[in-house]
Amino acid sequence: MANMAVSRIKREFKEVMRSEEIVQCSIKIELVNDSWTELRGEIAGPPDTPYEGGKFVLEIKVPETYPFNPPKVRFITRIWHPNISSVTGAICLDILKDNWAAAMTLRTVLLSLQALLAAAEPDDPQDAVVAYQFKDKHDLFVLTARHWTNAYAGGPTTFPDCDSKIQRLKDMGIDEHDARAVLSKENWNLEKATECLFS
Amino acid sequence: MDSDIEMELESDNDGEFDDDYDYYNTGEDCDVERLDPKRADPEYFEYECLTVEDIEKLLNELVEKLNTILQITPSLAKVLLLEHQWNNAAVVEKYRQDANALLVSARIKPPTTAVDAASTSAAAAAQLRLSSSSGYRTSTASSSTSSLTTAASGNPQQQQQSQPQRRMCPVCASTQPNDKFYSLACGHSFCKDCWTIYFETQIFQGISIQIGCMAQQCNVRVPEDLVLTLVTRPVMRDKYQQFAFKDYVKSHPQLRFCPGPNCQIIVQSSEICAKRAICKVCHTGFCFKCGMDYHAPTDCQIIRKWLTKCADDSETANYISAHTKDCPKCHICIEKNGGCNHMQCFNCKHDFCWMCLGDWKTHGSEYYECSRYKDNPNIANESVHVQAREALKKYLHYYERWENHSKSLKLEQQTIDRLRQRINTKVMNGSGTWIDWQYLFNAAALLAKCRYTLQYTYPYAYYMEPGSRKNLFEYQQAQLEAEIENLSWKIERAETTDRAVLENQMDIAEKRRTTLLKDFFPVIVKT
Repeated sequence: MANMAVSRIKREFKEVMRSEEIVQCSIKIELVNDSWTELRGEIAGPPDTPYEGGKFVLEIKVPETYPFNPPKVRFITRIWHPNISSVTGAICLDILKDNWAAAMTLRTVLLSLQALLAAAEPDDPQDAVVAYQFKDKHDLFVLTARHWTNAYAGGPTTFPDCDSKIQRLKDMGIDEHDARAVLSKENWNLEKATECLFS
Repeated sequence: MDSDIEMELESDNDGEFDDDYDYYNTGEDCDVERLDPKRADPEYFEYECLTVEDIEKLLNELVEKLNTILQITPSLAKVLLLEHQWNNAAVVEKYRQDANALLVSARIKPPTTAVDAASTSAAAAAQLRLSSSSGYRTSTASSSTSSLTTAASGNPQQQQQSQPQRRMCPVCASTQPNDKFYSLACGHSFCKDCWTIYFETQIFQGISIQIGCMAQQCNVRVPEDLVLTLVTRPVMRDKYQQFAFKDYVKSHPQLRFCPGPNCQIIVQSSEICAKRAICKVCHTGFCFKCGMDYHAPTDCQIIRKWLTKCADDSETANYISAHTKDCPKCHICIEKNGGCNHMQCFNCKHDFCWMCLGDWKTHGSEYYECSRYKDNPNIANESVHVQAREALKKYLHYYERWENHSKSLKLEQQTIDRLRQRINTKVMNGSGTWIDWQYLFNAAALLAKCRYTLQYTYPYAYYMEPGSRKNLFEYQQAQLEAEIENLSWKIERAETTDRAVLENQMDIAEKRRTTLLKDFFPVIVKT
């Protein structure tokens, strides 16, 4: 790995460690191996959003050409958000693509992702299903996103109704994740979800 | 080949055109009647094929001209011209109106801040000269000249002047002497090595004149001379210049790269329209407006739509048409995936015969009694599936014809080869000389030309709204097709066809083609 990338990452690592966000526990970063090419980030769900109270883990891969090319970032924690794939965790964010600038840092990336959680852009979706629900059935979207935050990111709000529907599908031999994904997609209509799974 | 030798006498030709008009076609029959080719031939197109050197000269002249008027560096002039479609007058006018706005819109300067807004246009002009001559090459933090400090005033980077000797580059995080730092008009300064690596990374990705500042949210463009000052590897410099040249040509409305493989020719025309240009070097013919294969009478958007549709749909469509049928009872689309012809619809459980679509019960014990083919009697029942199949049928109707003519065109070379053989035999047998049979080649070439146009009438018809205009179009299309088939038949039997008859047929076919184009090839000319 190029020398510049390593020295930059080392510096940025320190920057994040010193930043006030870490004091407030809103962002976190840690090493995965000794080579500095892979890092693990963590962001807290912003307050007053369906993600509040959740901790979202990110995979950060640093390319050799860093900082002239953006780091490759995706969500490891499953999340229900229009700009993040509910299946792969891939993120649609301009600064991670064309609008990356060499002067940006891991800290700005983590803060931008946090901002993305607070302000989704459903017109530029990564996950079309989520984006559709966001625009068309916003109440259900909020419920689903909260439920996912609870299920995967340790969020506080529980939804017994959702859990019981998932349990019904689990009793039919469906994997819990699949059950949740299908029910979320079908707006928690158990009948439709069953039809979708078994047809 | 020039087939428009006999041009239609146009009654509405008012002869208002110049006499010294440079004739596109100086064919042998032109002494019959002098006609303006623009009027008589709907496909007439004036253009020039130029080499890279010619274009470089042409662009450099434009740059030079702007330099002398505005007193700016070539690098800056190029950016300004690029942003204004190489319209010198527009740049000069905008410059006179508001130099500051011009520089901001061309991304030479960052969007106006409060400080900049206060500065007058004259000050901006002065700044422009400064920044374009040597401004960004000097380290801003060294603040050697007072005007430079003004240019970058109000920038946070300037506050680092407490340590004037050395400072840290925000990209590589290393501390370096101040004279290693470069910045653009926006004042974001980075070390020389970072700029260099950054440029090389960008060039490697095919980006040249669009390279921007490395700072976050900063859109200021890096001018050509800074890139060429810092990037020293010859390979990368060459690449940069090649990419930049491509961008310059693409931004010039009157220039088009010849789409022929490895062809270096650039075609220039002052008439920007969907007409055919033919490269003089590789002989590739293409639509001047969109650069695709020439597609009269269809226009650029429609042909793009059609080609995308063909690429997307043809495989699926062919498969659906070949392997599926609609259930005769519920009209759901059924794919046959086994050998047995006794089908049971998975949807309505109707038993039927795959061959005749009749009720299976009526088949009795005699298997395959149904050799007769019947149309689905319930076709009037317009379920969604029937409609989908109707739409598919319509598409396939046009697609098959389009495909067929496209294939015929590819076979055209074979026809010409066969023709050459036949002529050889004749000349050997003493029936006429080589020259006597030349008209057959003309006929074959004309046939190809007509076929080509005919091929492109199908996408046009597919997207046409039903109505009298479509009826007229399809009537003309049918006429053209009939005459083309006649011509083809006569060329195949050239030995027994009288030359006069054949040439008459050529004339008829070409007239049909021209008439169709005249009526349905509305060329919108932008100049």
